[in-house]
Amino acid sequence: MKNDLHIPSTEHEREYASNGYIMSLVAVMAGLPIPVVNLIASLIFFLANRKATYFVRWHSTQALLSQLSVVGFNSAAFWWTISIFFFHEKEVNNDYMAYVIAVIVLNVLELIGTMIAAVRVRKGIHYRIFIIGEFTDIFVKESN
Amino acid sequence: MESSKVDMFLMTNSKFFESHQLPAIREQLLNLDESKMINIQMIEFKDPTTILIVSILAGALGIDRFMIGDTGLGIGKLLTLGGCGIWSIVDLFLIMGATRQKNMERLQNVLIMS
Repeated sequence: MKNDLHIPSTEHEREYASNGYIMSLVAVMAGLPIPVVNLIASLIFFLANRKATYFVRWHSTQALLSQLSVVGFNSAAFWWTISIFFFHEKEVNNDYMAYVIAVIVLNVLELIGTMIAAVRVRKGIHYRIFIIGEFTDIFVKESN
Repeated sequence: MESSKVDMFLMTNSKFFESHQLPAIREQLLNLDESKMINIQMIEFKDPTTILIVSILAGALGIDRFMIGDTGLGIGKLLTLGGCGIWSIVDLFLIMGATRQKNMERLQNVLIMS
């Protein structure tokens, strides 16, 4: 595993990179019942920073990918819940409960990862979220 | 230009620029003719903190974007009521960087013209 703990970064770069993670947390709070609000917010942040320095680009991409990793599961859980409680097409069964618990655990893990990333990146550490960091390397190239 | 004058300019105006841009600005100002300094000192830079306060209070109407000179984005933000609130949230985290970038563009325009 590549471990770039010492990518040189200035104070402002650390601030912007860390802001990407904090913003996705704020967007989760603001748009909680709807699963795509945080993804849209991360996407806007990513697009705004696509010409920024390598450090900022890398972390805004990692923030976007971490949101993308949960949005599919969240959307499925959201519409399954809607179909049960609003349209009464299905009923609560063991499969539904197991899926919802799994989605909650996944979201909590993603939230913890994002919080750790926000804190570490603010200190200038090039923090890589498990697995997502590897995917980010594929998408972000050092030269702009 | 004298290095003491350049350093004085950077000390008083460093908050208006990205910290990674400061060495390049210093280099450009050192190579600049002494008589052009007045043009540089006359530039009115926008304070990122002031724009952040405007963004918190009136971000949904796009006032922050109008203030830094992004009129197109400001109108877009105004008509969509801050992108249904999402754009306003994102801009709280982007606007300080955008302001510093605009200040840099303003400085570069004057440097090119002089």
